[in-house]
Amino acid sequence: MHPLDRLFEKSSRSLAQRTSRRSFVAQLGQALTGSILLPLLPIDRASRAAAANADPDAAAPPQHASIASGARNSAHDDPQNCEYWKYCAIDGFLCSCCGGSSHSCPPGTAMSPITWIGTCHNPGDSRDYIVSYNDCCGKTSCGNCACNRNEREKPLYRLSRNNDVNWCMANSDSNYHCSVSVILGLAEQ
Amino acid sequence: MRTLQLRAALLALMVGGGTFAAQPLTPEQLSIEPLPSKSPHWVFVIDEAFFNEIDARVRLFDGDSYRHLGQIDAGFSPGVIQSPDGSTTAVATTYFARGGHGARTDVVEFTDNATLAVAGEIVLPPKRAQIPPTYFNLAYSTDSRFMYVAYITPAASFGVLDPAAKTVLAEIDTAGCVLVIPAGPNRVSSLCDNGKLLTVALDSQGHEASRSLSDAMFDPDADPVFIQGVPSTRGYTFLSFLGQVHEVDFSGAQPSLLQPWSLVTDSERGHWRPGGSQPLAINRVLGRLYVAMHRGGEGSHKEGGTEIWVFDRSTHKRMARWPMAPSRLGAVTAVQVSQDDAPLLFAAGDHGAVGVFDALTGRLRHVDKDLGQTPWLFLNP
Repeated sequence: MHPLDRLFEKSSRSLAQRTSRRSFVAQLGQALTGSILLPLLPIDRASRAAAANADPDAAAPPQHASIASGARNSAHDDPQNCEYWKYCAIDGFLCSCCGGSSHSCPPGTAMSPITWIGTCHNPGDSRDYIVSYNDCCGKTSCGNCACNRNEREKPLYRLSRNNDVNWCMANSDSNYHCSVSVILGLAEQ
Repeated sequence: MRTLQLRAALLALMVGGGTFAAQPLTPEQLSIEPLPSKSPHWVFVIDEAFFNEIDARVRLFDGDSYRHLGQIDAGFSPGVIQSPDGSTTAVATTYFARGGHGARTDVVEFTDNATLAVAGEIVLPPKRAQIPPTYFNLAYSTDSRFMYVAYITPAASFGVLDPAAKTVLAEIDTAGCVLVIPAGPNRVSSLCDNGKLLTVALDSQGHEASRSLSDAMFDPDADPVFIQGVPSTRGYTFLSFLGQVHEVDFSGAQPSLLQPWSLVTDSERGHWRPGGSQPLAINRVLGRLYVAMHRGGEGSHKEGGTEIWVFDRSTHKRMARWPMAPSRLGAVTAVQVSQDDAPLLFAAGDHGAVGVFDALTGRLRHVDKDLGQTPWLFLNP
């Protein structure tokens, strides 16, 4: 079994033992499914193609300004910019400014196994995507690229749509470091 | 002429120098500054310290002298509340064994408001809801017999504490409803994702005696309420994203939902909205509401106010609109008003500066830029 799969299995089993909120388990299932689909999504391929020239989504020095690139010519396309389309309901520090990327945690941190879910519109292909906002955990605040967007975000009582709670809460080391936005699939499907 | 000037300068130097030589400064005694007498114009400023979040703190600020009176440490993602008698500040927080990482300890720490010294603690199970500060992260019963702490793991529940014995008494499952809204000596209400209030009544040992669900207070899909309810005369008042005012009377055995009213006209609805981390303040003496309002659409509920709107609680009439631009605070994300008849309004801008206003006229009296990096909630003394 892939180490990542083992981690998710362990996390989801642990979560199921600790919570009666079936919706969370269901959403975790969505997240698992979405993670498997991730390499197939068109935007991800576009992102990887762009990386051949200049990859602002790879580990890079923290900065707020967009990195000039022929493939990314606006804030909507720049993973180090709060206006990046995938960040439409993110609240925290962008991991892409902290040693990670828009969908990977920085080295030495731990992924939050539980998450909140949003739908963001990608102007690049005019499609809506379901994304999960995971936190990266186990180190203190990154502090770079603070970003707070709240499209369709809901208060704490609608927990699976809330970006205020510390989603590192269930990690063995629950300190919050930064946040990522991971494409799960097309919203139209 | 030049000689005269030189003589005058020499004389001045001799006189001045002679004074210093004759009267050296007396030795000083290192001491602890006592707090002055409590004032209704004090305010506790909760700085989440979001950019280094393990180091939140509560600053005590005097709105008359503009002095920083002291500080209470608040750890990581704290909840903060005052005891009903005002003698104690309780902070529910998390510490990590090695500073930024390591084993997690959740704890409620008590600070004596007369000295600002820590005066005891209760170690919690590692379940505390790590959320931005509200009035309902932790709470006291009206008689201080119990304390309640919101848990999210993400299963939702709350802990019942004995603040006198410094012990944890019980944990109550809230079936997905969140936060601890205290009522009377033994009731706790929580906000549910169907817009209802769950109310749990406790027995004398702090265990569940009964529970009930209210009618729907709001529509969480069409117009959710902010969780930042504010104490009103007989309970708490909540705002919705679109500007509905939901007053809840918690004085009876069950919460009583009053008829909602609107901050906005039909033409303003959906265009002008409340927003921020503490969008509402209420002066209970004068019956006035202060709301941070901005122009915005869906998803703008955390944007600060470009104006503060003032309402009369009994007539629901808007009494004033105070533009915030002249104060140079930026957008106002948190407001609080003192509970007296010559009230001060405190307003935190989105860059961390705090303005002190005359709450009767809207006149800006002072701006303090050193009350923290992210002052997200104010509490009255």
